[in-house]
Amino acid sequence: MLRAENITKTYRRHADSVRVLNDLSFSVKDGEFVSIVGASGSGKSTLLHLLGTLDQPDSGTISLDGKRIDNLPGKERDRLRNETFGFVFQFYHLLPELTALDNVLMPAYIRHTALGWWKNRRTWRKRGLDLLNRVGLGQRVRHKPREMSGGEMQRAAVARALLARPRLLLADEPTGNLDVETGGEIVHLLRDLNRDDGVTIVMVTHNLELAAATDRVVRMAGGKIVPATEDRTGASFRPTLSMAG
Amino acid sequence: MYKFLLCTRYLQTRFLAFVCIVSVMLGNSTLIVVNSVMSGFATKLKDRLHGISADASIDTERFSGFSESPDSMTARIMASPAGRHVEAVSPTVEVFGMLQFRRKDRSGEDVVDVKKIMISGVDPAKHAKVGGFSQYLTRQKNRPNPSFDLTQEARERYERNRALDFPDFPANPSTAREPKPDFFKDPIVVPQNPLAPPPTIAPPVLDALPPPKPVGIVLGYSLAHYRYTDPHTNEVKEIEVIKPGDHVMIVTLGVTGDAPVSRTFVVVDYFQSQMSEYDSMFVYVPLDELQKMRGMGDKINSLQMKFRPDSSQPLYMKQVLVPELQKLFPPPDSRVSTWQDKQSVLLAAIDVERGLLNLLLFLIVGVAGFGILAIFTMIVSEKYRDIGIMKSLGASSGGVMSIFLGYGFLLGAVGCILGTGLGLAITKYINPLESFLTKLTGTALFPRDVYYFDAIPTNVDTLAVALVNIGAIAVAVIFSVLPALRAARLHPVRALRFE
Repeated sequence: MLRAENITKTYRRHADSVRVLNDLSFSVKDGEFVSIVGASGSGKSTLLHLLGTLDQPDSGTISLDGKRIDNLPGKERDRLRNETFGFVFQFYHLLPELTALDNVLMPAYIRHTALGWWKNRRTWRKRGLDLLNRVGLGQRVRHKPREMSGGEMQRAAVARALLARPRLLLADEPTGNLDVETGGEIVHLLRDLNRDDGVTIVMVTHNLELAAATDRVVRMAGGKIVPATEDRTGASFRPTLSMAG
Repeated sequence: MYKFLLCTRYLQTRFLAFVCIVSVMLGNSTLIVVNSVMSGFATKLKDRLHGISADASIDTERFSGFSESPDSMTARIMASPAGRHVEAVSPTVEVFGMLQFRRKDRSGEDVVDVKKIMISGVDPAKHAKVGGFSQYLTRQKNRPNPSFDLTQEARERYERNRALDFPDFPANPSTAREPKPDFFKDPIVVPQNPLAPPPTIAPPVLDALPPPKPVGIVLGYSLAHYRYTDPHTNEVKEIEVIKPGDHVMIVTLGVTGDAPVSRTFVVVDYFQSQMSEYDSMFVYVPLDELQKMRGMGDKINSLQMKFRPDSSQPLYMKQVLVPELQKLFPPPDSRVSTWQDKQSVLLAAIDVERGLLNLLLFLIVGVAGFGILAIFTMIVSEKYRDIGIMKSLGASSGGVMSIFLGYGFLLGAVGCILGTGLGLAITKYINPLESFLTKLTGTALFPRDVYYFDAIPTNVDTLAVALVNIGAIAVAVIFSVLPALRAARLHPVRALRFE
């Protein structure tokens, strides 16, 4: 489904430059739940941003269903992010001025003009409410982010990412700001969505235990994917579906 | 859709937005108030300038006046193409002179005052038809046919003054008239003795000389009143120095221009246009008396005209009627001018002053614009992450820019609506407000003795209000362009990582 081939990414600041991704290749199959683990600075988040077209690689290609997406013009990239990808971030990034429902509906607001929204508003609102119910926030529809807990905010962020029925959900350390139990709930939710709705998920995490709940674990170090044989942690990366929580 | 949603939500929830709105509101309302007051002053001044002048006049510099009689001039005008536009004419003699009058000083002694004046000889009924002459008379206000006749009050004072000045002169000649002596009825008897002393002949009792018929004069209000500010109460007070019924003398030059002529007039009324320059300079006397006094015969030196309402538009007068009349009365003996031509310097000064003040005051809105720039820059910095998340959800750079431009527009629009409301309210209640502030501070903010206005004049010009609003909104949008551009160009990854 999504394939990155020989991508490199270097961040430059004045004379200094840091190569974050180094000739990296990676692919995700349709319906797969992949987790990317690695130490801080290993390039996990950068890879996720490149896969989600938030940034462009210096070299290499990224393609979706065989079609290159790394060199798309701005408008098409915006549409791709709106319709095909869903993002979940570590710090939830809900808009503080909006209610939980408005936050969830944001992709629809972005997609439509005022007239288009008016015509489709019932469908979208129903979808938003369904998703909020699905993530257990049926009673928090009108609440602002500041009135919600970290776990609730992250669940609202997941609902927002799913509103437009994306084919690929990119989650950047979705549990990084949550306690273990709540983090487990979020990963459990993602696992259910992957299993029940067939959403393809790529999740970046630090937590090896949570990563174990995914179909496949990819380890990164020094801007590259580390083959399983080079893994020095000795941890088993086979998926374990018996997640707590 | 998200642009509108976020604009309105940012407006409702951001305190900084409120600061922007207040700054736009204050700038906007100040501009509206100042504009309305300036416009009020200008309108009132123009009304008065027009009120005291006819629409147009034909004047001559010749001291002896036009060689043609006013009737002949009028007939020629009426027969010309311009004639059908003329509603009324008033033959006038205008000449500089001096006014002399007596008054009591503080110790009660008589003192003589002399003031320079502009003497207008008019037929009051005709003159009232060409301008606002009767509108500015204090005792015959708005009478269609004002006159120089003494009112009852003026006549009583006049008689009293005469009795004091000439105690032996009968107040009413008809009652003092003695019967005529009949010399033939009572013949003189010549004594027979030639040496006898001649008979004493009693002097004949002659008719008492009739007192001179008083001729009325209308004085400029400020010539007859002394206005001052009471140092104790700070109130503007007036002392009536010349009262109706008092006599004054005017002196000017005769028609030849080499000999002074003078005449005594009795004050019948005041002329109060509330234009200090006019009220302290103008006196009106009967046209025939001035002509007689100066030895002009029936000649005049100014023919004043009022045009029909549809013909008195400034441009039409200037482009059509004035050239037409100038053909009839060619220069250099005659000069045709509209009231705007005569007051052109003052009218231009008012317009320049108003324009300059507007320009300077618009800087206030400019300052508000810089406030918006600073506050918007802060808001954009605060919203880095929101911008990142919106971009990750598919918002375009143009869309993000529109949010902040729309936000600037909304701030400007709300500030303008509130500012217009506040400005119009202040304009409406500016006089009570001024009284309150004067009481509070003890200093007169609008000294009546300077302007001779009873109240601060205001005139809300809809076009000016609209222009102020458009300008303020434009400033708000223009100053939000830079922060909006910055937001639009923000890289989504850097925005998401912003701490």
